[in-house]
Formats: sequence, structure tokens, C-alpha cells
Amino acid sequence: MSEHKPKIVALVCNWCTYTAADLAGTSRRDYPSEIRLVRLMCTGMIDSKYILKAFLEGADGVFIGGCHPGDCHYIDGNLKAVKRIEAIGIMLEQFGFEKERLKLEWIGASEGPEFQENMQEFAKKIGDMGKVQTADRMIL
Amino acid sequence: MEHNKPKIGVYICHCGMNISPKVNVEEVSSFTGEINNVTIARDYKFMCSNPGQELITEDIKNLGLNRVVVASCSPRMHELTFRKACENAGLNQFYFQMANIREHSSWVTKDSAQATKKAKELVFAAISRVAFHAPLDTREVDVKKSVVIIGGGIAGMQAALTSAEAGFDVHLVEREPSIGGHMSKFDKTFPTLDCAACISTPKTVNIGQHPNINLLSYSEVSAIEGFVGNYNVTVKRKARFISEEKCTGCGLCTEVCPVNIRSDFDEGLSNRKAAYRSFPQAVPLTFCIDKKDTAPCRTGCPAELNVQGYLQLVGMKKYREAIDLIMERVPLPGVLGRVCPHPCESKCRRIDVDSAVSIRDMKRFAADQVDFESLDIPEIIENDKKIAIIGSGPAGLTVAYDMRLKGYKVTIFEAMEKAGGMLRVGIPDYRLPQNVLDEEINHLLRHGIDIKYNSSFGKDFTTKDLLDEGYDSVFLGIGAHKTLKMRIQGENSKGVLDAVSFLRDVNTGSTKKPGEKVVIIGGGNVAIDAAGVSKRLGSIDVTILYRRTEKEMPAFKEEIDLVLDEGVNLTTLVSPVKIVEQNGVAVGIECIKNELGPADASGRRRPVPIEGSEYIIDCDAVIPAIGQEPDISWFEKEPELTLSKWNTIETNTKMQTAIPEVFAGGDGVTGPATVIEAIAAGHRASESMDKYLSGEILDEIEEPIDISKENNFLDIPSDYSKKLKSEMEHLSSDDRKVNFNEISMGLTESQSETEAERCLNCGGCCECMECVKACEVEAIDHAMEEEEIQIETGAVILSTGFKAFDPSPMTQYGYGIYPEVYTSLEFERLNNATGPTSGKVLMKNGEVPKKVAIVHCVGSRDDKHNKFCSRVCCMYSMKFAHLLKEKTGAEVWEFYIDIRSPGKLYEEFYNRVQEEGVHFIRGRVAEITDIPDNPEDRGKLTVIAENTLTRRTARIPVDMVILGVGLNPAEGSDDVGRMAGVSRDGDGWYNELHAKLAPVSTPINGIFLAGCCQGPKDIPDTVAQSMGAAGEAIALLSKGTVKTMAEISEIDPDICSGCKTCLTACSYSAITFNDSKNIAVVNEALCQGCGSCSVACPSSSASVKHFNDIQVMNEIEALL
Repeated sequence: MSEHKPKIVALVCNWCTYTAADLAGTSRRDYPSEIRLVRLMCTGMIDSKYILKAFLEGADGVFIGGCHPGDCHYIDGNLKAVKRIEAIGIMLEQFGFEKERLKLEWIGASEGPEFQENMQEFAKKIGDMGKVQTADRMIL
Repeated sequence: MEHNKPKIGVYICHCGMNISPKVNVEEVSSFTGEINNVTIARDYKFMCSNPGQELITEDIKNLGLNRVVVASCSPRMHELTFRKACENAGLNQFYFQMANIREHSSWVTKDSAQATKKAKELVFAAISRVAFHAPLDTREVDVKKSVVIIGGGIAGMQAALTSAEAGFDVHLVEREPSIGGHMSKFDKTFPTLDCAACISTPKTVNIGQHPNINLLSYSEVSAIEGFVGNYNVTVKRKARFISEEKCTGCGLCTEVCPVNIRSDFDEGLSNRKAAYRSFPQAVPLTFCIDKKDTAPCRTGCPAELNVQGYLQLVGMKKYREAIDLIMERVPLPGVLGRVCPHPCESKCRRIDVDSAVSIRDMKRFAADQVDFESLDIPEIIENDKKIAIIGSGPAGLTVAYDMRLKGYKVTIFEAMEKAGGMLRVGIPDYRLPQNVLDEEINHLLRHGIDIKYNSSFGKDFTTKDLLDEGYDSVFLGIGAHKTLKMRIQGENSKGVLDAVSFLRDVNTGSTKKPGEKVVIIGGGNVAIDAAGVSKRLGSIDVTILYRRTEKEMPAFKEEIDLVLDEGVNLTTLVSPVKIVEQNGVAVGIECIKNELGPADASGRRRPVPIEGSEYIIDCDAVIPAIGQEPDISWFEKEPELTLSKWNTIETNTKMQTAIPEVFAGGDGVTGPATVIEAIAAGHRASESMDKYLSGEILDEIEEPIDISKENNFLDIPSDYSKKLKSEMEHLSSDDRKVNFNEISMGLTESQSETEAERCLNCGGCCECMECVKACEVEAIDHAMEEEEIQIETGAVILSTGFKAFDPSPMTQYGYGIYPEVYTSLEFERLNNATGPTSGKVLMKNGEVPKKVAIVHCVGSRDDKHNKFCSRVCCMYSMKFAHLLKEKTGAEVWEFYIDIRSPGKLYEEFYNRVQEEGVHFIRGRVAEITDIPDNPEDRGKLTVIAENTLTRRTARIPVDMVILGVGLNPAEGSDDVGRMAGVSRDGDGWYNELHAKLAPVSTPINGIFLAGCCQGPKDIPDTVAQSMGAAGEAIALLSKGTVKTMAEISEIDPDICSGCKTCLTACSYSAITFNDSKNIAVVNEALCQGCGSCSVACPSSSASVKHFNDIQVMNEIEALL
């Protein structure tokens, strides 16, 4: 099974979750290596295209990490993201995709341990769900 | 241009042993070398070092690289370093991308092969992305040469002084009325035992006087906008109600202020006044008036009487001033002090503690202490207008008094022989003695008000007559003096008297009893009064019939209880059916029993007759008291006035009748209501009348009252001792039912003091205006309003400090339960020369403690509260031990877990305190109890802890316990952090940019940290860090310019469809619309580069530079 490791992309904001990931690194909190981070300035700049692109290119899970509500560096970019991510979740489901493959979580800059936990949990869940069938991707 | 074929140089960093050997850098390097577009791939020990950077610059020059990727640590660490290296070699800095293979691979991946694989993919993604990078320009903009410092404790003060000394303008914002922070509360500082005041006051004074420092005390920051070098800070200047320019700091306002409020500065150990200054050496020396929202008693009074104000003046025995204040809204203090139904008392917040303050009785007490004849009549500036008032009841008298004070010539026309209206003829003497009424009415008339008695409206004159006679305006305060008919058979028989006529006759001298057996019908106050009067006139059997139950009776409960006590019978759930008469004389009344049905329009349950339950009560007098209406016998002579269906006069909301010159108010407009409502109506009418006569337009629109707002009243201390309201003495029922002497004796002086003390002073300042009278320089302005100012600044320093941990939740320590358990800050005040005991360490009973325990780590190093060490508690606890020894000679125990004394001379101080004989017990205190182990320790507190060195339980009886509470971030620091964009760690402290190398910087350029807001620290560290923060700010300001952000939005004008979606998506209003070109345009000065517009744009014409779709999509694609 270990040969079929799922692929996970994490789209995270520069100010909170990317910093939390750095803190997890500095404090040597390990998590599964199949997770790849993409640094963006804010979750509010995450276009639906990016998520669909990730799934199309073979991602089995997409994690979105931003600042806690009220802590957004850009006032309310994270709140704009919530609505979008919800909508994409619904859309994915309509295409026969499990919406659990897309997850949004708030992880603050000082929450290194929380970042690690989230990564471990998400990787496990996506691992349990298995790889996305090629046919499913085709539909997308 | 440079958009030719990418020639990429890739550099893999070993980071010493941090990336390599976990990541096989050589493998990554050789893998990278094979990738398309990669010209050169190298690995090196430390890419961030000088030789590392030179590798890049040399390759750019020699190999003609046009893209650079460095795979090393986080871009948050060294992106700038490498961008600069690129620029140094002439390559635009945005042709650079970083792969984070340390924090995101080598440090977080267990397996070496996996870490290497991940590193390769991250590098590949960076290479794929950088190929699509474009050169971006940044502009140099000037830096505003000033610093805003938020928080005026020792940190903020030091940062302000350092910055100001460097020649920059400093705006120091402090939310308290004075600066100095916690340090100004301390007496001594460890380990040198310097006097805190001696070393901090030179700084506060210097701040107050420094030409470069603009001190904004009693102010709070409400917004921080802009970017490094060009911040715009909005500061809310709270109203201190005393002018900083005029106040001389003399303190006369405090002396006369009657309001006592617990002193925050003294940690609640003493009281201060509402007009106050935290301590005598405060900077600025300006006093401040602590005003909250208007007290609910005052807003609950229909006449908006300043209740809190007169209560406090009575408490100070300033009765005359109290009467002056009452008369501003209630011209008949003694009358209302007796008969007012006190709606204010039901709003009193004291009810939440025990019971309402006796507000009405306090008003009577004040009036009883004052001889109205001796009161001065104010000077009245006469005008040439004349007013006629019809009726001298409470409404008419109020209008007369208000208008007279405004200078109008006022004449009252009264139908009866004496003034007072219903007060005179409707309320029995035992409730309202005639002499009280006389005294107060005479006082009003002494202001120059004319009164014509026996002048009956409609009979002797009309409004037209008055206007023709030259009166400019008329007020109708005719009251409601006609009893409603019961409309039952036999109502006109002899022996049936209406209640209003009956009471009027008695009040004007009749002593004729209505009969031997009297039945009174009705449940209102008139019925109760008729019953009480009948009893006093000698009627043997008096019965009140009411159709619902006692609970629904509109009469005041206390009045009902008094007449029942006097022997009056009350029969409820009955209605009269007919009067039984013999030869035209009433001999009985037939009644029917009721039961309660569903609620009616008034919300009370409707009485429903029970069929066949009729019965007869024998009696020789029946007094109906089922309500009144205005007597409208004048109506046919006043064709222009209009009446409602209840026969009341119709007015608009400004109390103006159908005749513009004629106003009306009181019972004649509302139907029977209370005295205080009539007075309120009088004020409204006089305001309208005055406006009308001054030629102003009467605006009918009422301002809506904002009820959504949470009221901000003075807090009720949780440990308030309960004390029920003071009740007046009453004549015994035997003494009172035989005569018309006043029943209530009034409060005693000591009761009045108690009641003033019981008042919670909800509004803070009571607005008694005594301070205004006392202030010789006219510095006080109770109408002062909060204002907002904008400050343009280059840098912001956050120095919001800390808040002491609140130990109340740790109930095992008994804080708030046992009076002799103190927090460290409370002990600081107890020990301070300016504190509540003038620096004597005394217990609450005034005695010197002989044994004292100091508990360390309260709230700190505790999984349940704060895991961190608060750093200062060990040292200040030992300082306390030393001071206790020195001042009291007490035996002192320190309960510690570890002694943390790492600092210059700290360990030496620890040794010294040990040598002084202080006991050190290593162990966390389990419990503090007042249950003694031995009878002789009764009254002491026993501190229980396991001594972990001896492995025995220590049980030490002591007189006093000091809790060494830890530090938490200051209240509101979360809001300030959010405004500044500075994140906070899990404990709430601000995150610094780098724990080791950038401890005073934040991830936000131009925003710096000083003092405890970044984490607990002692004074020396705070001062050092503050100087550091000031140094960073000075460096920024001295440089003079900053580069603008390049990563901002752009909108392609050729694609933009002009749909304006982006305008609503932008949270910074950074997008404007060009109407002539029909396209959206980014304002580069405002755009922050968040990308909301790029996502929202349906035509994909908006994008964020350096984060555009093609760059991000290529990175994602390469990762998978």
C-alpha cells in the first residue's frame, strides 16, 4: 500500500498557516511527506481553478489553511475563502468527488502543533479514502 | 526584453547539518541539473553566507542567468537576502524563487529518502514557477518622520523618550488618564530596591515636557491603516470632561465630588471620586471625570430627574444643592418625595445585589431638611411675552415654573380657591400634608408667577379671551376631575357619592363621613384613598370591591397594605350589578362573582361573571372609584379644540393643540396618570411653547432611541455586601386611622447616608455639577465629546503591556473569599506611600501582620492556566519578603517551585533574603483555608503545601497571604494586534519576527514591539527592549524612504469588462471605476495585494503580480 501514497496539496496563506508550518519545522514536528505546500498571500486569493487544477493533476486531497476568523492579514480574505471553498465542495460532490477530499482549516501563526496534527489527520483520511480513480478525474 | 528563454541557476543549501544529510543534497542537485531550462545546479554548505551569495552573483554575471532558485530555509527567513543578491548582480529581484526544503522537508520528514524526494519536488515546482516570473518595479516613497507608540507604561515611555531624543515626533497614546503603567503602582523595584517612583517620575515628567512628544492620554487607537513608512493611525480621544489646557491640577473638583468609586489604581483597596487623578504625581496632571452611561434611574424617570445626583448630594448632606438639582426637573420635591410611584426604583441596578435604593424617600428627606421660604430666587432675565396657564396641578405648575425661569410673564388661572389641582383635592392629607404642598407652591409663586383663583375655564373665560387679552400662549392643564359612571341601576340614589367629589370635599374641609357601612368600587389609588379617608371619618365598616384579584389592582401595593392594615376589607373578583335602594336611598349593593378569563388589551386577565352567583352587600354608602376623565363642560365654547373618544384633549407630539398658540398636557391629555408623568408632560409642553414663541419650527419627528446598544454602567463589585433598602417608620395603624396626620415619618439622617452609600453610582459621574461650581478656572465641561484624530506616521511601536493574572478561578487559594489573601499588585499598593494605607503594611482590621505567606507561580507554570513562567514573580516575591521583614518584622514563608533569579544581582538578592531569615518551602501550595489546625490559630489562614524537599506536608498558619500572580497580555491587546496586523501566540503575546534575531520587529514592516506585550519581562529587560524598538524605528525613519510593495493587483484594461465585481470584493476600497473608459482601475497606494479581486474577476483581467494564475498553476502542476 505504501507505494500508492496519496498526493496532497496544501494551499496556505503566508501570514498564518505557512508560518505555522515553518514553526512546525523549527520545532521538528514531523508529518507525512506526501504533503506539498503552496504559499499564497491569503486564502482569499485561492481561485477555484487552483483547486480543480490540483485534482486534475493528480492530487487526492487539497488542504486549505488560513488565519482564524478576525485575524486575517487582509481584513476578511479568509471569510471570502470560506464561501468559495464551500461552493467548490458542493460542486465536487455533484461531479462524484468526495467533498471530504477538500478541507479548509484555520491554523494561526503560532499553532505549529496544530499544523502537525492537521497534516497527520488529513493525510490519514486521504490515505484511507485511497487514490482518486482516473475515471473520476476525467469527469472533472 | 528579458522574456527570452529562461536560464535558471539552482542552488541547494546544506544549511550546515540541517538540510543535509537528511536530504541528499547532492542527489537533489544532480536531479535538478537535468531539468529543462536549468543552466547550472549547485549545492553549498551555507547559501545565505557571503560566499554562498557570491556563487549566485558570479553565475548571473558569468553564465548569463536570468532566473534563480535557492532551495534552503523558509522564504520568511532569507527571501530578502537572496533577492538582494540577485539585484546586486543586476537581475530583477522578482526573477527569484525559493524552495523551502528545511522547515518543510528535512525538519519534518523522518525518512531520509522521502525527505529527498520531497525536496526534489519542491525544487522542481520552484523551477517551474520561476520560469514564468516577470520583473516587477518597486517605487521609493518618503517615510513620515514620526512614531506612534501605543501604551504609556515604562516600555512606551522609554521608547518615546529614545525616539524623541533622536529628533523625531512621537505620539504616545495611553488609554488611562495618566502614563506610567504598572510601574507607577510599585513602591520598590528588585533587586536594587530603588524607589519605583523616584526612577520613573523623571521619565513621566520628561515626557510631559518634551517638545517632540505629543502625549495623548485617555485615548485609544481605533485603526491602523497604510504601510511601512506611511501609516495612518486613528486615535479616539475619550472625553475626560476637564480641559487639559485649563486644568491646573488643584483638585477642588475631587474635593466636592460626591461619588465614590473603587480605585483601579489602588487595585480596589480604596475609593476614589468620579472626578479623579490616579495619583498626585500623575502626568498629565489634568483631572478626569469618570462618566459612564446615564444611570437607569434617571432614564427611567418620566421627568428625567437626575436621581443619582441628588442621592449623592444628600449623602454629602448638601440638601439645598440636592433640592436645586431636583427642582431642575421636578418643581415639587417634597410632594413627589411622598406620592411618586417611583418608576425609577424598578430600574435600580441595586436590585441585582439586594433591593432598590429608596429613591423617593430620599427626595422627601432632602425636601424635609430645607426651608423653602429661605431658598434664593434666581435672577430672571425678563422677556416681553405673556403666558396663561389654565390649572395649577403638577402639569400647570411645571409649565409655569419652566416658563417663568425663561423670563416669560406667567399667570395661572385656577378654578378652585387653592392651587395644586389633584394634589390638593385628590390626595388625602395623611399621604400629602397640605402644608408641604403650600410651602412648595408658594416657593414657585415667589418666582414672580401670578395666580388668579376661582377662575373657571369655559365658564369665566375661553382661550380666545386670553389670546385676545394679549397672552402670547396658553397652556391647558385641566386634569381629569370627573368620575366615570358605573352605568348600573340605582346609581343616582342617595348615598352614592363619586370618589373625586368625596375626596375633594374632605380635602377642602368637610368632615362628614359617607356612612357607617361604606362600599368602595374600584382598584386604583383613588379607591384606596377613599377607603382610608372613610375609615378616618369614622365609618365602621369599609369594603373595597374589585373585579379582578389583588395582583391586578392598579393601586400601589404599599398603599393597599396600609389601608388593609387600618382595617379596610378587600373583596376581589366581584362586580357591582345594581344599587339596592329603598325610597331613593341606597341600602345595599348587588354584586356578581367573577372568575378570570383570557387577557384583555391591557394584558390583564379579563373578569368573567359567574352566572347565578349574585349576592347583596348591605351598606348605606357606595363610592364608585372606577376611573376619571376630564370635565369637558367647556367644550362647546372652544369649537377649535378637538377631543379624543375618551374626552381627552388632542395634541401633537409637541403637546400643541389644534390651536397653534394653545398647548396642553397632564391628565387632561392622557387621562388619569401619575404626578411625575404630568410633570414630564409639563416640561415637554414648556419646551415646545418656548420654541414656538421664539419662532422656531416645532419638529414633530422624535429622535429614535437606540435600544440595541449595551449599556456601559459602572461595574458592580462582586464582593458587594448586601444591605436591604431602608424603610421609613410609619405611624401605627391605631394611631393613624383616627386622624389625618401624615403616616410616614420619613427617613432618618443615618438612613439617608446608608441609602446614598447603597447607590451603585451606575453613571459614574452623577452630574450634580458641584465640580463646575468649584472649578475656578472653568476647566470643566460636562458636554465634552469623544473625538477622533488622524496621525500620519512612519512607524508604530506596540507597548500594550500586561494584565495581572486573576486568581479568582483558583478557589483553593481563597482569593475574593478570605479578606487577607492579596494579589501581588494589591500588596504593591498596600506597601506604597501613595497607596490606601500610606505605605503601612496593615491587614483589613488595621493590625500589622505577624506571619505572612507568599505563594509563587499563581497562574504560571500551571497546565490549567498559563504554561509559561511569568519571569518576574520569584524576584518580586522575594522583594516583598524583604520589605515585610524590614517594615513589620513579620515571619515570612516563600512557597516556591523553583527560584528563577537569572539576572544581574538577582541571585545575590536571593541569597540576601535567605540570610534575612525568610523561610523557603519548595512546593506548590495546595490549599489556603480558614479552618485552623489548632484552636489558638482561629482567625488565621492555614497554608497547606507539600514540602518536596522534606517530603512532609507543611501547614503554616499565617495572618496574610500574598499570591504571586503571573502575567497575561493586556486587555484589548488582541484588538490592537488585529489593527496592526501583528499575530499573537497561543498565550496572547505578540509574535516577534524572529525569536532570536528580530525580537522587537514583527512580520509587518514598520511595526515594532516593546515590553511585556511580546512576553513577560522585568523592568530592565523592558527598558532595553524599548530602546531596541525605538532604535529600529529610528533606523527606518532616518533612512527616509521605503520601497513600495510590488506584489499588488493589476487589471488588464484590454480585458476588463467593467462589471465592477472587483469593486465590491476589495476590502481596501483600492479599486476605482473609470467611467469614461468603463474599466476598473487599481489604486496602487491602497492595494495590499490580497487577491480578492483576482478571484472575483469573471473575465480574469484582475491578477496579483507575482501570484498570477500561470505562476501558481505551474507550481501546483509541478508538485503533482
